[in-house]
Formats: sequence, structure tokens, C-alpha cells
Amino acid sequence: MKILKFLLIVFFISLSGNFESFSDEAMMKKGLEIFNETAACAACHVLKAAGSEGNIGPNLDTVTMTVESVKEMVTYGLGVMPAFGEGEILTKEEIEIVSQYVVNVANK
Amino acid sequence: MKKRIKKLNLSRRNFLTGTATLAGVAATASFVPITIAKANHSEGKKGLPDFISWKDRDALIVHSDKGIETHRSAIGESLITPNRNIYIRNNMPTMTDEQIGNRMDWKVSIEGVKNPKTFTLAQLQKLGHETMATILQCSGNGRGFFKHKPRGSQWKTGAAACVLWTGVPMKTVVEACGGINGDTVFMTSAGIDHQPTGLDPKKAMIERSVPKKVFKDAMLAWEMNGVPLPNAHGGPLRMVTPGYFGINNVKHLGKVAFTTKESSVKYMKSSYRISPIGKKGSQYPSCWEMPVKSWVTRPTDETGTVKAGKVQIVGVAMGGTKKVRSVKVSVDGGKSWKKAKFIGPNLGKYAWRQFVLETTLSAGTYNIASLASNGSDKQPELRMENRRGYAHNGWKDHSVNITVV
Repeated sequence: MKILKFLLIVFFISLSGNFESFSDEAMMKKGLEIFNETAACAACHVLKAAGSEGNIGPNLDTVTMTVESVKEMVTYGLGVMPAFGEGEILTKEEIEIVSQYVVNVANK
Repeated sequence: MKKRIKKLNLSRRNFLTGTATLAGVAATASFVPITIAKANHSEGKKGLPDFISWKDRDALIVHSDKGIETHRSAIGESLITPNRNIYIRNNMPTMTDEQIGNRMDWKVSIEGVKNPKTFTLAQLQKLGHETMATILQCSGNGRGFFKHKPRGSQWKTGAAACVLWTGVPMKTVVEACGGINGDTVFMTSAGIDHQPTGLDPKKAMIERSVPKKVFKDAMLAWEMNGVPLPNAHGGPLRMVTPGYFGINNVKHLGKVAFTTKESSVKYMKSSYRISPIGKKGSQYPSCWEMPVKSWVTRPTDETGTVKAGKVQIVGVAMGGTKKVRSVKVSVDGGKSWKKAKFIGPNLGKYAWRQFVLETTLSAGTYNIASLASNGSDKQPELRMENRRGYAHNGWKDHSVNITVV
């Protein structure tokens, strides 16, 4: 009985783990899509993981950043970088996703 | 997670040239390849971007490949900051040798004068010759001390340098053009480093207007600390506006115009405006004149513990657009102050002065601060809070904690 209970717990943990990684993967895929296509971040930034070589803005593989700092930058822009949030180019959700994506894959 | 790399195939130019919408981006996304302005910074052997692989990595803090700061203790103890230690802050990619071509053929046009002319670098070098020292300082130097964490590189003290420039005085150039048109108010300098990117000039061109009077001390410089002006610092020709923040010292200079109005490009109209936190707009002051400022460069928290006994507290002080008159140093967080001594040569009011205070410290921890005055203004204790973290000269944030053993 104890063994059965243990196996059930392992099964549910494994299910929840799979669900989480599926969710992460979907989010990363969406983040890549926003980065390379929807927002065209790739046109101006290097990000090896996204295969991008833009040289207008900072190389994102060399920048110290947090999800919050990227969200702020994407929302309000800086210099020649457009304000993707204020300009309603991206939704809040898209900004959240692309910021999570960039911080997750930078320098990898 | 397995990386999924999609091929990039879209148009940055269309996206950034103005009215791009999501649909507009999508519409252009499938057929226009990027062929220009690819990264030239695969990171050199020393961990610096290729275009500045000649710099001293140990002297620098890399915030990004376009924002590189000088360590507080590496600002140079011989007045002039060595090129290999000087900070980098570039709004546009540094132009390459190929994009620049023959340096002597570089052209700059002069407008808003009686006889508008275009000079090559070779012609400018025949027109006049002068050397002067000025402080190059990013408007955001000290941003890293602001508690609201403004966007941009988190500079502490090292987005500043004291530089010897050689070039032709702007005054000489103006005389060669028959003088300035009478109704003008500003001197407006434009770089051409946005051109290779293909971006909309209204959004990407570094064009900066400063009050017309600045021309009297300004210079078109082709040499920096004894070597031809490096591309990374705006070579082959740069406007030098003494006493004014770095952004006004336009790199890769292509045009100087005396104008009745300020430039309408983004970098003049909305960027580099000192506005209250939460507010923005062209009604707020532009980053022009630098305020009086100083900071200690040795000993610092970067240089390790200090041996008890006699200690030399060293630093740099600047007066902004006026001569720096005095500096006081505190070792107890501003409770008491002692006058420091200026040392080294005086290279004029636009250069900084080195200062030193010899004191004796016993074992313990100390907060060391410096406070400069130019006669009419002195450093405030606190920072002037503003949205983008510009023009910080408060002495308290710039103080350092040291441990004496």
C-alpha cells in the first residue's frame, strides 16, 4: 500500500513537472517569436540564442539585466529604441513574455 | 530546453522609420533581409567588444558593449585619463574604417554663417591648430546612485575622463566662413554615424543644439590624448563643447549649423531632458552645462584595506563651466571637513584638478567624501532627483567607505 501511495505521488509530481516544462517551452517559443518577428528586437540587438546580430542597441548577451529592467526598457524605450508599451506596439502580456525570454536565454 | 532558432528576415529600417504598427511589421517581416549594421562586436580576447579590444579590460566595468565605465580607481592619477581607460557610451554603432574611408577626406559642412562651406579634414588641419583639455562626462554619470533605478547604464563615477584634444578652434572656422548669421541662437552639431544603420534620421541622428556662445571655446578635434581620434570616440572628427555634457560633443561630425531653433531630432527634443520622476517632455532643461563635482579616486573600496597611519586621499574636482576654486574632504561622512590641496598642472577651467589631503587614520571604518566649489556653486549633499538620473553631483552618494587596519 505504501509503495502504491509512493508511486502515485511520483506520478503526480511527474505530471506537474511535465506540465510546467510544457508551459515554459511554449512561453519561450512565444518569446522568440516576439523577439524575432512581432517586435523585431532582433533587428537591433545581438542575442545568440535567437540567432540575431543587430548592432544598433546593446548586445543582450553582454548586458546585466533583470526581467523588471527589460520590461521597463521595452515598455518605455530609450534613445532610438521605441517605447513598445507606450506606443502600444506590444501588449503587456507580450512585454512580459519577451522580457522573460530575453533574460532566460541571454548569454546561453 | 532545446533551443529553437528562427531565421531572422525582416526590415529594421521599415520598423524604425516611423509609423510601424504591428501589422506593418508583420507585412514587411518575410522578405527584406538585413544586410547592414550587423554586429562588429564578437568580443575580443580580453572580453571587450572588438571595436575597443585595444582598451584595458582591467580598468573597465562592462555594463554592455555600448556602455563601458572606468573603475573609480582607474581614472588616471596623472590628470589626463589614458585612452585605454576612457569610458564608452555610444548611442549609435561606432563607424568602421571602411565606412569612414580616407580620414583626410572626411567632410564637415558649416552652415548658418555668412559664407557656408564644406571642409575636408585636410583643409581643417591647414586652417588652424590648438590643443585644450576638457572633461568628457556622460549626462548619466552617477545614475547608479539613484534609488528609483532609472533606465540606462548604472554609472557610478566612471563615465568621465579628462582629455587633451587637438584640432581647430570653432572660432577660427567661423572666421573662415565670414562670421555667424546675426539672427541665430544655437550652434547645432550633427553626426553621421546613424547613416550606415539606415534608420530614420529624426529618431537616430545625434544632432545637438547648444547656446551659440559655446562656439567661442569649442573645437573640431581630430586628435585625442596624442593619437588620431579613435573611431570609438567619434573619429576622425568630433565637436568638443567644453563644460557641456558628453552628448553635446558630437562624434563622427558631419555638420555644424548656427540655427534659430533647437534641432527637432529625438536626441535633442525628448532625450537628455532633466525632468521630474514620472514626467517627460521638451519643456524640461536639456543636458547642457555640467555642474561642479568631485570624487575621491584613492583610497576606495576597490583598492582594498588601508594600512593605519599616514594616508593620501586623492581625487578629481571640476568646476563645470567655471574654474574649480576649492575642495574639502571629510573622513567622517560629512560631519567635519578639511581643505584639500590642488596638485599637478592647471590645464584651464574646463579640465579637472587633482586634489590631495594628507591625513592620519587609525584602524576603523571611514566614510570619505569630497566637496568642490567653483566660487558661486558648490556640490549639494543630496542628488537632484530626476526621471533619467542625469547630472548627479551630490557629495553624499559619491562618498566611499574604506577600512583601515
